[in-house]
Amino acid sequence: TATRAQPGPLGRAGRAGSAALATGGAASAKGPGRPGQLQDETLGVASVPSQWRGVQGIRGETKSCQTAGIATAEASAQARSHADAQVQTEAPVPVSTLPPSRLDTARLAAFLRRVEAMVIRELNKNWQSHAFDGFEVNWTEQQQTVSCLHTLCYPPAQGQGLHVTSISWNTTGSVVACAYGRLDDGDWSTLKSFVCAWNLDRRGLNPRQPSAVVEAPSAVLCLAFHPTQPSHIAGGLYSGEVLVWDMSRPEDPLLWRTGLTDDTHTDPVYQVVWLPEPRQSHRFQVLSVATDGKVLLWQGGGAGRLQLTEGFALVVQQLPRSTKLKKPPRGETEVGATAVAFSSFDPSLFVLGTEGGFPVKCSLAAEEAALTRMPSSVPLRAPAQFTFSPHGGPIYSVSCSPFHRNLFLSAGTDGHVHLYSMLQAQPLISLQLSYKYLFAVRWSPVRPLVFAAASGEGDVRLFDLQKSSQKPTISIKQTEDGSPVYCLEFNSQQTQLLAAGDAKGTVKVWQLSTEFTEQGPRETEDLDQLAAEVAT
Amino acid sequence: MAEVEETLKRIQSHKGVIGNMVVNAEGIPIRTTLDNSTTVQYAGLLHQLTTKARSTVRDIDPQNDLTFLRIRSKKHEIMVAPDKEYLLIVIQNPCE
Repeated sequence: TATRAQPGPLGRAGRAGSAALATGGAASAKGPGRPGQLQDETLGVASVPSQWRGVQGIRGETKSCQTAGIATAEASAQARSHADAQVQTEAPVPVSTLPPSRLDTARLAAFLRRVEAMVIRELNKNWQSHAFDGFEVNWTEQQQTVSCLHTLCYPPAQGQGLHVTSISWNTTGSVVACAYGRLDDGDWSTLKSFVCAWNLDRRGLNPRQPSAVVEAPSAVLCLAFHPTQPSHIAGGLYSGEVLVWDMSRPEDPLLWRTGLTDDTHTDPVYQVVWLPEPRQSHRFQVLSVATDGKVLLWQGGGAGRLQLTEGFALVVQQLPRSTKLKKPPRGETEVGATAVAFSSFDPSLFVLGTEGGFPVKCSLAAEEAALTRMPSSVPLRAPAQFTFSPHGGPIYSVSCSPFHRNLFLSAGTDGHVHLYSMLQAQPLISLQLSYKYLFAVRWSPVRPLVFAAASGEGDVRLFDLQKSSQKPTISIKQTEDGSPVYCLEFNSQQTQLLAAGDAKGTVKVWQLSTEFTEQGPRETEDLDQLAAEVAT
Repeated sequence: MAEVEETLKRIQSHKGVIGNMVVNAEGIPIRTTLDNSTTVQYAGLLHQLTTKARSTVRDIDPQNDLTFLRIRSKKHEIMVAPDKEYLLIVIQNPCE
């Protein structure tokens, strides 16, 4: 009979225990060879004290924890009374004068009788007085010279050899944005281009780090900030698209785009302008001008698409024959438009600068249909009303005077600036400002007789018609090596600032001297006189 | 009625006068030769300034009172004839 191993208490036996049991079993297994020697034996239990359990036991401690009691209290609240209120901003209603029927005219007449003599006496004295002759007060610090406040650039765009093609100041005058692209490429370009904005009022402005950068799929050729929204900006692309971005949203700046539909321009868009909508003057639409001869009005619609609302096409056969023009090359009917300027006095009147070198006076209210076969979802109209005498080459920029309803400037590749009056085809004054091209011309927003021009020789030339009608008053050197300055814009809020962008990819913000920013007492009259006397 | 218009026309036709207006004691324009928005601006601002000028004069000497207010600026001269109920404002460009 084999002895049976007695199972010891579990856990205490361990491996050593089973070995002892096994040998015990083996010893008795030898037994069957010799009968009579089998004996029953009871083996003691082999046990091995557990080491780990003992060690554990020494270390064990009992601990308990209890969070301190949380004080609670019950209270209830109930609004006793409430009122609903709504707030809605409304466009300001113009205050009108009291209707005369509610007046006490007798008292009014008596008052006027009392004061009339005194007022007439003072008016006469004023008229004859020399008390204030030559008396001037300086409220602000006089700036004697023009200085460069900031030199801004975006190194990745400069590394690609991109030029600054357009500049725009925003409505508050504190942000300047520039577009990078190339103006000398004759081919379709697949280079990505950038729109960069710098906030000049921020502390810690880093001139090489724009506060906002937006990438565009094709070269951006023109920019315009929204007239009331400080962060919305529209841009026209080389591919013919028009895009609107919101610069305050860095992760998804694109608000609207025209897409590449039948309505889109087929040529590069050279200028975009924001216009108030005809019925709701606080909403705006975008007008784009391109060398395919179309002038299109876009409105932001749903799904981020710009919808075409109105369109105009400039066709050679429909140009008014107010001046002799060169015969257009065979087969071409469209007149490419390269610049646009709206009159500050008549919101539907605008001047287009064309590739043929002649400015055209146009109206948004024109009714006649355009003779063009270009496809469009909206009927295209012929806007031209008057054609002016041409330059010697394509026009690159036009600007309407903010102080006189009939005057506008145009500048082009012949290096001349022409001052036109809307009333006649020949220019009033023709000035040669450069031996190379002139890329931009702008009237000053504060001085009626001052304008600035960007030349291909790398200078910004400021002209004061009061001082001299022949040569520029100041010529500011922007680029060291004479690369062209492509664009410039005055800041209408901070009137001493002028921003200019050049072919090296830098934007320089110039602070003008006081003589260019403070209006003299009789300038508007002088401008009127200039317009009148030269015309005769 | 006609007398009021005649008087204002006489003042307006004076040399260099750009515009004139009559404003009541609350600063609301009653008669004017300028456009609405400009008139409202002049009326509101000059009414406040006249009140301030009058209180300045009377604070310095309580026996004194404001008779006439003239503001000369770079571009023109504004004249205000004050009264208990009305203000006459005339803007003149003194050509020199």
